[in-house]
Amino acid sequence: MSNNNSILVAGLIVALLIGLAAPFLASGDPDGLESAAEKIINSDVLDANLDEAGLEEEGTVAPSPMPDYAIPGMDKIGEIGALIIGILLITLLSFGVGSIFKKSTSEN
Amino acid sequence: MHIPDGFIPLWESGIFWVISLIFLSMSLRWASKEMNEKTVPLFTALAAGIFAIQAMNMPIPWGTSGHMVGAALTAIVFDSPWAAVLMLALVLIVQGLFFADGGLIVMGANIFNMGVVGGFVGYYVFKSLKKTNFHAAVFTAGWSATFIAALACAAELAIAGTFPIDLGIQFMGLYHAVIGIIEGLITAVVVGYLASARPDLVKSVKKVVSNE
Repeated sequence: MSNNNSILVAGLIVALLIGLAAPFLASGDPDGLESAAEKIINSDVLDANLDEAGLEEEGTVAPSPMPDYAIPGMDKIGEIGALIIGILLITLLSFGVGSIFKKSTSEN
Repeated sequence: MHIPDGFIPLWESGIFWVISLIFLSMSLRWASKEMNEKTVPLFTALAAGIFAIQAMNMPIPWGTSGHMVGAALTAIVFDSPWAAVLMLALVLIVQGLFFADGGLIVMGANIFNMGVVGGFVGYYVFKSLKKTNFHAAVFTAGWSATFIAALACAAELAIAGTFPIDLGIQFMGLYHAVIGIIEGLITAVVVGYLASARPDLVKSVKKVVSNE
């Protein structure tokens, strides 16, 4: 049991270390899809799709509290904070989903 | 490789939501069979690690960057492509809802590309190559998962009319052939480490060992 939880603790430590380092190490260059889009996107089609979705520019229709992994107005500390919050959120979500299905099987 | 809202029209986004929800429901069937005392901590640890490393874009040539996806890694560790579908869906939900990374309308397409295509390509490439050389098979699985998922993405954008098909395949293929090397290397390092440190947890390793 403790043996299995140790892998969870180790994984969280690695994730948090990456979260601390990423704001300083991550490349600010656009990713593969964005780079391709900059060169080849059909802006007429993009505009029509944006109109249809009710957006000004491409992004998301969801109101995101921490767009681009940053807390607005908080600089690097905000980027580290956003990643740590994200790591905690995905930890809770994946542990929660895993636990729900674990429980339902042990009851069967 | 996260498609933002606006890149594909609503009808196409809807089709990919339907496809992804079907795959997602199958992945929940996998979860109900496989989640236990051992797998929940491992699944959670991988989810945290994949979320973190996805946020760290690494530079590639042409002023472009790329990040890990983690579907091949998940599929290999859990010996099932369904694990990857569930893993990437959860990661994409957090990214899309909180960080504006990937749109909400197009989330079905993103789950399809990274989770379904990445997971199934990664898993079956690994499975077909693992008897030749374990580490090379893991690397190739990671590389192919990224490369083929990018081609799927290019095809979806071509159907949408957003990208021309020839240039879409050319640019998405070229960039992700390089990004796939990052994916392959990290996948090989993590699977190699887990396989030696905790062989009891890595199902596909147990199979390779027991076959020998």
